[in-house]
Amino acid sequence: MRTLDRDTIVSILLLVFCGFLIWAGFQIRDPQFGELPPAAWPQGVSYVLTAFCLIYFFQSVFSNKPAPEASTSNASPEHPQGLIGWVKHFGNPIACFALYFLFLFTLPFFGTLIGGTLLVFLLLSLLGGIEPKKIGLHALIAVVSVGAMWSLFTFGLRVLLPRGEILPGI
Amino acid sequence: MIIENTLAAIQELATFKTLLLMVVGASAGLIAGAIPGFTIAMAVVLTLPFTFGMEASQGIATMIGVYVGGLSGGLMSGILIGIPGTPSSVATTFDGFPMARKGEPGFALGLGVWSSFFGGIISTILLIAVAPQLARVGLEFQPWDYFALIFFALTVTASLAGDNMIKGLISGAMGLIIASVGEDDINGVKRFDFGVEYLSEGFAFLPVLIGLFAFSQLMSDIRDRVSARKALSDMKDVDIRIEHGRAIKTIISDWINIVRSSLIGVFTGVLPAAGSSISNILAYDQAKKASPTPEKFGTGFPGGIIAPESANNATAGGALITMMALGIPGDVITAVMLGALLIHDVVPSPAFISEEPKIAYAIFIAFFFANFLVLILQSGALRGFVLVTKVRMYVLASIILVYCGIGVFSLNNIENDMWTLAVFGVVGYVMRNLKFPLAPMILGVVLGPIAERWLSRSLALSTDVSEFFTHPWSLFFIIVSVFSIGFSWYQNDRGKKPWTVWYLPLFLMSVTVPLFMMGGYVRPAIALVLLGFSALLFYRLPKAVQELKS
Repeated sequence: MRTLDRDTIVSILLLVFCGFLIWAGFQIRDPQFGELPPAAWPQGVSYVLTAFCLIYFFQSVFSNKPAPEASTSNASPEHPQGLIGWVKHFGNPIACFALYFLFLFTLPFFGTLIGGTLLVFLLLSLLGGIEPKKIGLHALIAVVSVGAMWSLFTFGLRVLLPRGEILPGI
Repeated sequence: MIIENTLAAIQELATFKTLLLMVVGASAGLIAGAIPGFTIAMAVVLTLPFTFGMEASQGIATMIGVYVGGLSGGLMSGILIGIPGTPSSVATTFDGFPMARKGEPGFALGLGVWSSFFGGIISTILLIAVAPQLARVGLEFQPWDYFALIFFALTVTASLAGDNMIKGLISGAMGLIIASVGEDDINGVKRFDFGVEYLSEGFAFLPVLIGLFAFSQLMSDIRDRVSARKALSDMKDVDIRIEHGRAIKTIISDWINIVRSSLIGVFTGVLPAAGSSISNILAYDQAKKASPTPEKFGTGFPGGIIAPESANNATAGGALITMMALGIPGDVITAVMLGALLIHDVVPSPAFISEEPKIAYAIFIAFFFANFLVLILQSGALRGFVLVTKVRMYVLASIILVYCGIGVFSLNNIENDMWTLAVFGVVGYVMRNLKFPLAPMILGVVLGPIAERWLSRSLALSTDVSEFFTHPWSLFFIIVSVFSIGFSWYQNDRGKKPWTVWYLPLFLMSVTVPLFMMGGYVRPAIALVLLGFSALLFYRLPKAVQELKS
């Protein structure tokens, strides 16, 4: 039996998203004035997007790609197979995104200076490796780079960057 | 008038602060260009947050410094290690690297540096000469024509997505959807907000752009341990003297090559979506075809360095022509510049040059000056730039990620923009991995609100949809859009399938219709020439089909 390839799965997800967009388009209020109602443009684009996604779906279904085998022998750096392979392949970006979202969640508590320094230090340690001689260097890079950025934006460009509860002064 | 405006622009730019900003921008561009995988667009995007607090002309001058620096920086790694720093210097490596390996890296670098300079200067002259004229043509545009022009810009961007045209079209349409989230500009009605306050404000353009482009690019650069820990480039310490005199003599003796390549660069830049990554290869190909010794290309031949390097720098001038004359960004870089102008309440349109002469001429002068600046910096600080590219990728990525967050916050002082950045960073990364091109989406985000506004104005004037086909410019852009959608199929099947022989004559014949409709003398005369040429192609058609079948 032919298994669904990546493009087919993506096109199905996009079609579901299009359905959602079309539904959301009908929820837009019509103020009953003007020649172009506020819903017309997004609805029009949603229909066009749906048409493109349908073409993408049919292209992916009827393309003559060989069916992928179930064995892991086909796994390549470009196409990781299985959950573990997938997590290994995308490990660095996933961890970076997670750290970045954590930085945003804790921003009201730490503020930009402390939160940013912690984020740079954690990213450097995660990506560069945790070795005793590197930790000091990573800490130094984090303090100097975020300190310089913070100073430049605060004093040079007069931007009031988010401050944290931990040290309300900065 | 021109002299007055030029002097006013020089006065505007000739301050210590602006010059310093341009030096910093050009240096940053040179470094970014020298790093393989670090695109010029990303460097320009990252410069953007710094420009929020500046005056419009200062901010644009800084970004132009980065842009020109980036275009020139790619040649360093291309010549010294054979890996192009940016896609715009791919063809430079064909002859630059062999010449460096033959023991003449100083001459190769000299040819690259000076060709970039001459290409930039030729395109500046064309920019100053053509942009105001094109803007005059643009003043004829009515709302229907504007809408059709934006439609053309979007279709051509998507159609140049190569094998993935349908993905390009989906990406462009997604950009239009993203731009329509939040309050609409015309009626103030909330769209796609689902009662969420964050969505009702809509997405600010710049966090979306930085997230989609820069954030996701960084994630791709540090995708695994090996990529994350490698140096930005493999260039060794260099102690090379650039051979300026010999390079200039060689370039002057090959002046036809430099003029032809620069014109190819400018023309490619004028076309939406066709940037320096295409122009350098086109110019190399044409130089090889026109050369009496084509067999020498690829062996370290000077003409093989002169052509791509002059073309890629000249492309910037072409892209600026479209942006300044019509208010349409041709690529991601000019989209960012357009965004920067919008922040300062400057809206590029055909009236831009006449209404904002100070800024318009500041762009001309900054572009002209940036070429000199980059030449001086490259000649004097080559070793320094090479040293900077020895930093590890993960160090740079970690610092830039935080910088992106701080930068987008400084735009509106809203924390939500930082969330937008992160969310679109994820979206951009997923799209990159699924091989969806990002440029159409970015152009969709920029052009979506403008397209909707012009459509609304058109319908306010007349609800008759046939107006789009009866206005000559509108019809012209619609015809070109239709043919641009078919262009990628034409490219794939050219020389293989009989239908492709119909493409060019049909296209030429079709565009003559709006040209005749425009009236006057010049345009119908052009239409007559095109009609004659298409008739000739039709006459030869049966023979061409037969040749193809045999």
